[in-house]
Amino acid sequence: MTVQRESAPTPAGTDNQIEVKGLNKRFGAGDGVVALENVDLTVRRGEFVAILGPSGCGKSTLLMITAGLTPPSSGSVVVDGKKVTRPLTEVGIVFQRDLLFDWRTVLGNVMLQADIRGLDRNASREKALQLLETVGLRGFADRRPWELSGGMRQRVALCRALLHDASLLLLDEPFGALDAITRDQINLDLQKIWLATGCTAVMVTHSISEAIFLADRVVVMSPRPGRIAQDVTIDLPRPRTVEMRDTPRFAAYQATLRDAIMH
Amino acid sequence: MTTRSAMRQLTDIAYPALVFIVSIVVWEFGARAGWFPPYVLPAPSSIVARIGDTADLMLHHAVVTSFEIILGFVLAVIIGVALAAMIVFVRTIDKAFYPWLVVVQVIPKVALGPLLVVWLGFGFLPKVLLAFLLSFFPVMISAMVGLRSIDNDSMFLLRSMGADPIKIFRHLQLPSALPGIFGSMKVAITLATVGAIVGEFIGANEGLGYVLVTANGVLDTTLIFVALTWISVLALVFYGAIAMLENMSVHWHVSHRSRAAQALA
Ligand SMILES: Nc1ncnc2c1ncn2[C@@H]1O[C@H](COP(=O)(O)OP(=O)(O)OP(=O)(O)O)[C@@H](O)[C@H]1O
Ligand SMILES: [Mg+2]
Repeated sequence: MTVQRESAPTPAGTDNQIEVKGLNKRFGAGDGVVALENVDLTVRRGEFVAILGPSGCGKSTLLMITAGLTPPSSGSVVVDGKKVTRPLTEVGIVFQRDLLFDWRTVLGNVMLQADIRGLDRNASREKALQLLETVGLRGFADRRPWELSGGMRQRVALCRALLHDASLLLLDEPFGALDAITRDQINLDLQKIWLATGCTAVMVTHSISEAIFLADRVVVMSPRPGRIAQDVTIDLPRPRTVEMRDTPRFAAYQATLRDAIMH
Repeated sequence: MTTRSAMRQLTDIAYPALVFIVSIVVWEFGARAGWFPPYVLPAPSSIVARIGDTADLMLHHAVVTSFEIILGFVLAVIIGVALAAMIVFVRTIDKAFYPWLVVVQVIPKVALGPLLVVWLGFGFLPKVLLAFLLSFFPVMISAMVGLRSIDNDSMFLLRSMGADPIKIFRHLQLPSALPGIFGSMKVAITLATVGAIVGEFIGANEGLGYVLVTANGVLDTTLIFVALTWISVLALVFYGAIAMLENMSVHWHVSHRSRAAQALA
């Protein structure tokens, strides 16, 4: 594995993949719910950003607006230098719900990405099986989603998001239903894939240690209305290992982020 | 397979069969003992004999009626789903036509029968149309509900893959509407049968409904029972065919899972 992209040294401002400026989102008219308030966020190309924040603070809303799937109330999102006004398609999304279709097999669900995009079926099938292998579900390729556990379903949804090598990954709590050991393994695999493809990733998570383990930067959001409360750069070498979690630096980041979330 | 499940399979068949045999025996016995006159309720044995005697002729009538039912039903499914898709996709069509479709639905379609005969004569067509009119609405409504009941997130998922409306229809809306459509088809096939038979009542010179009316005219109760038997068999065959088609195409749906699991056990 190559580790050239350690700390991705692009000069700030020149190669931003995502620029969120003055973003506000209000649901419902009049005294509706204010989900996001004046959010500014910049994500550089190739960067891995994790978003932490209490439930209901607008993390999913922020991802959906970034993907062009939900319109903002005011403010703007620019992706790849273009203002987002319609759904982005150069993107792989893992939604908070796994959204697997019962009328497709596990493999078929991963292949949905290829079917809709009109990708080459044989090559995609190979890739899909390989991805399923990576997440330990190769043997379940021909099963139906309802025969899988919650954590297995999430892994299938991850494979679906990775199938087409998107330059941008948006992940909304993709590993919430996984046990600690499987989660560690998947985190390692995700890091490997991210390092290999050089894609940009924004991932919502409730786990502080997962955020530190994976991300170059961890953004902490305040309770509703969601604002960016802290932006912490994680300066740990790549590829990160499970053992790094026992280092004092890791613990220090943990303490910082725990503090940030409490306030 | 365990002995217990073998036993259960046996009783699944044996119990209903037993009920059937006992009823027939009592009926036959009653007819022979003179509990009721034959023009009210003929003996099962004489009905069976008559079925044998009239088989060729009745087969012809059954074929005629079957065609009317099948054609009306197939039209109902195709037009029902197509119309539902148009209503769901084109707001103008929804606004302009949907209220009228509801109004038309409220009219008892059977009452339109005489008018259809005036317009279209005594042939094949008015029966097909009546079968169609009776059976199309339930299909359209379930298709509409199914095509509309797509959750936001699934729609988002497909949009983020760059899906156009046609792909969204094919890969998301149609498959999720399919279980409902199949449910409505089971209702529709029964209604189509009613439509065809009633159409034949009103004016026809062939078909099982026509046989019923003429047998009634000469008080040939046995022939009425023969025709009823044919109609019931047809209805069962059609229903079974749809159930089979359903099993093949929406086996993944929740409503089919427990049975699949049972079959494996
Ligand atoms: N479609 C909607 N209509 C109305 N209100 C909404 C809608 N979607 C989200 N909200 C509101 O916006 C706020 C933020 O929701 P969001 O789903 O973004 O939170 P979240 O940070 O992802 O929470 P969680 O960690 O529980 O997933 C919530 O208060 C929610 O009630
Ligand atoms: Mg969320």
